[in-house]
Amino acid sequence: MSNYYNMPKLPTENSPKVEIFVDDRPVMVPGDTNLLEALKAVGIETPHICYHPYLPVSGNCRQCLVEQEGPRGRMLVISCYTPVVPGMKIYTPASSERVKNARKATQEFMLVNHPLDCPICDKAGECTLQENFMEAGQNESRLRPEVGKNYHGNPDHQFVDSKGQVRGGKHVDIGPRILLDEERCVQCDRCVRFMRSVAGDEQLQLAGRADHTYISTFPGEKLDHEYDLCVTDICPTGAMTAKYFRFQKRVWLLSHTPTVSMDDSLGANIWLDHADGKIWRMMPRCNPQVNRSWLSNTSRMAFQTFSENRLPAIDASAIKIGEGKVAIVLGGTCTIEDLAAARMLKDSLGGRAELFGGTFRAVGKADGIAKSGDPMANRKGFKVMGVGDNNLQDLVKRVSEFETLITVNADLFGEDAAAASPLEKIKNRIALSAFDDATAKKATVAFGIRHWSEVQGTMVNSLGILQKLNAAPTAPEAELRPAYEVLSQLSGTAITCASKAFKKAGEYASVLAEYSYDNIKSTGALLNGVEV
Amino acid sequence: MIEIINSRPWIEWLITIAKFAFCFVPVLYILLLIPMERRGAGFMQDRQGPNRSYIKIPFFGKIRLLGYVQNMCDGAKLFFKEQFTPSGVNKFLYNLAPAIPFAIVFLSPCVIPWFGPMVFEWGGSVVRVSGSILDSEIGVLLLFGFSSLSAYGAVLAGWASKSKYSFLGALRTSATTISYEVCLGLSLMGVLLLVGSFNLTDIVSWQEHHVWGIVAQPIAFVCFLIASIAETGRAPFDVAEGEPELVAGYHTEYGAMQFGLFYMGEYSHICINSFLISTLFLGGYAVPFVTTETIQAHMGGSLSILCGVLAFLVLAFLHLLYRYSRKLKKTNLTHKNVVLREYLLYKICGWVAVLVLIAGGLCAWFLFNPSVSFIGGETVYGIGTALGTALIHLLVLVVKSVAFCWVWIWVRWTLPRFRYDHIMHLGWKIILNIALVNLVVTAIVAKLVGGN
Amino acid sequence: MARVVRHKDMNWLERLYIFEACRGLWTTLKHAARGLFRYEQLPTISYPEGQPEIWNSYRAKHRLMLRPDGTPRCVACGMCAAACPAKCIFIEATQSDDPRIEKRVMRFDIDHLTCVFCGLCAEACPVDALRMDTKVVSFEHRTREEFVASLYDLTSWDPKDYPDDALSQEAPGGTRNAEARKIWGMEVK
Repeated sequence: MSNYYNMPKLPTENSPKVEIFVDDRPVMVPGDTNLLEALKAVGIETPHICYHPYLPVSGNCRQCLVEQEGPRGRMLVISCYTPVVPGMKIYTPASSERVKNARKATQEFMLVNHPLDCPICDKAGECTLQENFMEAGQNESRLRPEVGKNYHGNPDHQFVDSKGQVRGGKHVDIGPRILLDEERCVQCDRCVRFMRSVAGDEQLQLAGRADHTYISTFPGEKLDHEYDLCVTDICPTGAMTAKYFRFQKRVWLLSHTPTVSMDDSLGANIWLDHADGKIWRMMPRCNPQVNRSWLSNTSRMAFQTFSENRLPAIDASAIKIGEGKVAIVLGGTCTIEDLAAARMLKDSLGGRAELFGGTFRAVGKADGIAKSGDPMANRKGFKVMGVGDNNLQDLVKRVSEFETLITVNADLFGEDAAAASPLEKIKNRIALSAFDDATAKKATVAFGIRHWSEVQGTMVNSLGILQKLNAAPTAPEAELRPAYEVLSQLSGTAITCASKAFKKAGEYASVLAEYSYDNIKSTGALLNGVEV
Repeated sequence: MIEIINSRPWIEWLITIAKFAFCFVPVLYILLLIPMERRGAGFMQDRQGPNRSYIKIPFFGKIRLLGYVQNMCDGAKLFFKEQFTPSGVNKFLYNLAPAIPFAIVFLSPCVIPWFGPMVFEWGGSVVRVSGSILDSEIGVLLLFGFSSLSAYGAVLAGWASKSKYSFLGALRTSATTISYEVCLGLSLMGVLLLVGSFNLTDIVSWQEHHVWGIVAQPIAFVCFLIASIAETGRAPFDVAEGEPELVAGYHTEYGAMQFGLFYMGEYSHICINSFLISTLFLGGYAVPFVTTETIQAHMGGSLSILCGVLAFLVLAFLHLLYRYSRKLKKTNLTHKNVVLREYLLYKICGWVAVLVLIAGGLCAWFLFNPSVSFIGGETVYGIGTALGTALIHLLVLVVKSVAFCWVWIWVRWTLPRFRYDHIMHLGWKIILNIALVNLVVTAIVAKLVGGN
Repeated sequence: MARVVRHKDMNWLERLYIFEACRGLWTTLKHAARGLFRYEQLPTISYPEGQPEIWNSYRAKHRLMLRPDGTPRCVACGMCAAACPAKCIFIEATQSDDPRIEKRVMRFDIDHLTCVFCGLCAEACPVDALRMDTKVVSFEHRTREEFVASLYDLTSWDPKDYPDDALSQEAPGGTRNAEARKIWGMEVK
């Protein structure tokens, strides 16, 4: 399926160290990778446009030129496609004027017909081309002004703008979610390689040749794939833009919160980009073990509903747990901390409380990119914490025993109203939920809590990696509290801090005891002894 | 009773009673001083000063009286404001305090000679009326006594206000007043030594016949000027109300017309002191270089010269008005027609005044025929001449005192405030010593030259 | 690093103060005499009736330049908002109806209560859409909301007020607008 030919080998912690000479100085670099990654490992950034660590190398942009001492003297080579050889001599712009000029010339050539769209371009601010230009570019144009820009790509999209210049390929609708700007494209073919090698569905192609090249879909077809929004991330310029984010917000106004998507159990690492108390977009965060640089459209677009249909916060004293047996149902987006608090509540209620977990939704299959297909995000975490992760049927069968039902982040009625209907027999139904969903509507007491994008916490993904969630400051009400705060308050011992709740979780699950909340890295920690 | 009344001719009684009107001179001066200070300060600081309030009258429109209406508005506002009393004060003293400086306003003018002694023939006998309300032998001392009383107002106000700022301000005021009164008296002694009398009329007539006090005693003049500025508590000696330190000094807790009384008391104090200086050092009512006898001998000419001078001043004012109107027409101010219409009124009034003055001058020149009679070997003029002389004397005194009032304002808006210890240093260690040395030297010189 | 400025010591004549005070008095007297005899030379202005002379480069209230077809020239790039040190510019963008123009401004609010009139926004504008040459220097409104100039406020200016500016003359209502419309291929009304 996938074409892994030419995939770059990335350095790992176990890479052998070899000595090479950079600017005549010996440095120890990872030996089993390409020069670009090796230089990056020792802190030398090389500008690149077409190279992407998780895409096959094509080497067409020629931006990453360095000089290598060879048998015929010093030659310019592209560092992304040059393997590291022990003892090789490399010259970077720091010492070589030739490399500097070569990179500059390459860039100038790339910019000859690139439109000056930065003010209206959504990529401005995070554009690789822009960054490279600001870093090493030629700040004055050598083109004669009367020549101007001249677009040579798709002749169907050409038009004459208000200043009389030939322009072309603005906002071409190539798919339901993507707009293409052919003018801005620098033909790095990252998107083509992504669709071919990663998505495995070769929908994009480079058409034409030389400076008439342009990106195109097959005739009559649209770019439509579960991962197609990833091409907007990897596009080094503003050629591919997402329709949902188009003109919404300038990227430099966004703040970024690194967190984990609780959309499925792979727990894709994401950036929540927010401004003015609102999430504007969700971007994949690179984690080589989990989702690399990819994020599925479903997970990515989920943020649009985060602020809608929210439950308001009410006074915790409204929650009255009756005298009879209590069933606490924990949903898939509960964090480890929520589970710990739920166990605290169970302990405080004694033998009359039981914990249930699971989902009525179907468990799919992993697609091998950034989705495991399991809608129960923290299923491994349930296992680690000793909470049943698939015993909802048990609850439904024994429904008559219980007098009180507490659902935490579990929209049982929304997932499968028929399967959940016996639960209506329980007369005291308390719903702790971020959303005013079907379960909250059927509940006797609906208590608004924070959504997972607004809480600190941890989760264990399907690969057994303990990952950390961070809170984006986007809660619609300041009074909303995370589920673990509410649950621990009900148990009698209020915990108001995720790190303390995590410590509490360590008391229930010994495998977590060796970690502290603050020490978990942004890429997570692989838990020992957790079956994958 | 009847004998006392009958012992003098009725005209003498009339003039004596009419002289009490001079008690109101300081109050009238306030009306002059406040606009002078406001607009003078404005001009010194290159701005225009308050000039926006106006009275609307038919045809001429908005009349601003060169900014004078502003002061009427302020006065009306102060008068009609609510009078408040801070809680916990001694109500009696609190309300009494502002009255004291204002009462002195009416006492002090009693001893100032407003014109030379009127001597005229009435019904065959000679009538003599002194130029001051109270022609006392200890006139200067009385005046000092009165002006020292104003310290009571400050002290009572500061004490009764029950405020630390007021209290400190009162302390400073009383200390400054007392210190500088010593300097004031001592610097004056030189002049008194030369004249040989405490009577202010004597002092003026000595200056009229010898030389002005400012020439005879220049050092004493400077010391007296500085000391009297300090005594009135005006800048640069106004530490009592140094606003960065004490809010507003002893009248911090006063508002409305009670504050207005303090305010008026301060200005009338300036007025009295400038009258005093012009009397003691600038020859008082005496016309420069001309003796009273000469004026009386040429009464018609004197009056017409007076009219001529006044007409010249009005013409100068008209000139300024015309020049400014000409310039105003060329600007693009949106209200220039309103202003020009207002100026039209001033121009009309000015021209009428000029015509009246010229006519009056001509009449005085040609028609004034003084009656002269010789009674007891003395040349005595008629009542017309006596009244004319008194008018000229009064105007001269007013001009001199207004000039000194200007000095007060001028100094206030030029010099920065002294530090409190600097004031005391200046008073006790410098001015007092200079005044003492001046007194000793004057005494020796006077003895050697052979005066009285 | 504090800078110590050492003044020249006063000589004894200056230390006497009285002569220096007299010099100061002379200065103020000159000014007072000028006010009295040359009243019209006072540098002050009778404000509401006389307006200060404001030149083009004075940083006054903003205006948004218009294309000849009447749409704001602003492309909603947000450079002005990014440059604004007072954070008083609020911009929302949207897709333009004109296929030749990609992005247009939907909301452009300048809060003139917060604005510091530094002119960095006009400097930052890449398409010369924002200018500060309206010569409107006084803002009188009754509510805080009225101080926020909207897109409508910023674009409703009269080309007659800018007779020397050719670009303003091309705007709708300007004398050169008919010609400009022809250049733009629009019908002349």
